[in-house]
Amino acid sequence: METINYILNLFGLEGNLFIAQVINFAILLIILKIFLYKPIAQILEERKAKIKQGLDDAENAKKALADADNQKTKILKEAKVDADKILENTKASSESLKQQSAQDAKKQATEIVDNAKKQAQDEFAKASKQVGSMSVELSKKIVAKILSEIFTEDDKNAVLAKAVEKIEQGGYEKTTN
Amino acid sequence: MTLAPSILFHIGSFPVTNTLVTTLVVDVIIIALVIVFNRCLSLYPKGIQNFLEMVYEYFYNSTKEISSKVDIISPWVITFFIFIVISNVLGQFPGFETIRFYAAGSGEEGVPLFRTATSDLNVTLAFATISIVMCHFYSIKYTGLKSYIGRFVSLSPIFLFVGLLEFIGEFTKVISLSCRLFGNLFAGESVMGTISSMSLKIFGISIPLPFFAVPVPFMMLELMVAVIQAIVFAMLTMTFMSIMVEKH
Repeated sequence: METINYILNLFGLEGNLFIAQVINFAILLIILKIFLYKPIAQILEERKAKIKQGLDDAENAKKALADADNQKTKILKEAKVDADKILENTKASSESLKQQSAQDAKKQATEIVDNAKKQAQDEFAKASKQVGSMSVELSKKIVAKILSEIFTEDDKNAVLAKAVEKIEQGGYEKTTN
Repeated sequence: MTLAPSILFHIGSFPVTNTLVTTLVVDVIIIALVIVFNRCLSLYPKGIQNFLEMVYEYFYNSTKEISSKVDIISPWVITFFIFIVISNVLGQFPGFETIRFYAAGSGEEGVPLFRTATSDLNVTLAFATISIVMCHFYSIKYTGLKSYIGRFVSLSPIFLFVGLLEFIGEFTKVISLSCRLFGNLFAGESVMGTISSMSLKIFGISIPLPFFAVPVPFMMLELMVAVIQAIVFAMLTMTFMSIMVEKH
C-alpha cells in the first residue's frame, strides 16, 4: 500500500484530476462531434456529390459532343449525297433540256423551211397562174392583132377560139416549145 | 522538473495544476479552431478548413480501411489526435516552463504556470482509460455479451489461458498507452529544460550557451515526437477499437 501511495504521489496521480480530464475529454468530444466532424462530413459529402455531378456533366458533355460530331458528319455526308444527286439530276435535266431544245429548234427550223417552201410554192403557183392568165390575154391580143390583118372576121374568131382553147389547156407552152 | 504536475492553487479540495491550466488552454484553442472553421466553412476549402479536413479524412479513411464501424470509431480517434497534437506542440512554445507562478510553498523560483498537458500521467492515464473502456463498451454493444465474454473465457484449457492473457493484456494496454505518451513527452521536456539551462565553464567563469541556437535541433526532434506520439496514440486506439468491435 505504501508503495502504491509512493507511486501515486511520485506521478501526482489524483482521482479528482483524473475525473476532470475524463470529463474534459467527454465535453470536447461532444463539441467536436457536433461542430466539427458533422459539418466536415456534410461538406465532404456535398463536395463528393458536386464532383460526381461535375464528372457526370463532363461525361455527358463529351458524349453530346461526340453525338454532335457524329450527327455533323452524318449531315455532311447526307448533304454531299444530296448535292451529288441534285447535281446529277441537274446535269441530266439540262442535257435532256438541251436535247429537247435542239429537237424543238430543229423541228421549228423544219417547220419554218416547210412553210417557206409551201409559201414559195403557193407564190409560184399563184404567180404562174397570174402569168398564165396574163399570157393568155396577151396572146389573145397578139393573135387578134395579127389575125385581123390576115384573116377574115369568121376565120379570125375560129382561130382565136382554138388558140385560146389551146392556151387554156396548156398547149401554148407545148406549142412554143 | 518533477514527475508530478505542480499544484498552482486549490478550488475547495480540487487541486488546480499547471497541466490542468494547459488543458484548458488547449480546449480554448480547439474551440477557437472550431469557431473559425464554422465561420469560414465553404465548399472550396482554404486555410484552417483544409487542415482540419485533411486530419479528418486521414483518420476517417484509415479507420474505414480496417473497420466497418468507422462512424463510431473515427470521432474518438480524431479527438485524441487533435487534443494530443495541440497539447504536445504547444509545449514547444515560449512561455512553457519559463513563466513562473508563485504558489504557496513553491519557494523563490516558483512553479511553471504552463506545462505540457500530456507530460502529466493523470492526463495520459485518463485518455488511455477512456480509450480501453470505450473499446470494451463497443465490443459488448456490437458483438454481444456472449461474444465479448468468449474473448476471455473458454472451456478449452489452452484458450482459457489465452483468454487470461487477453484479460491481463487489457490492463497492460492502458499502462502502455498512458506511459508511452507520458514518458515521451516528459522526457522531451526534461531534455529541453536541461539543454536550455546548460552553460560552459571556462577558467571558472560560467558562460551560458546561446539559448536560441542550441535547443533548435532538440525542438525539431520534440516537434517530431509531438506529432508522432499523437498519431501513435490515435492509431492504437483505432486498432484496439477495430479489433474489439468485430466478432471473436
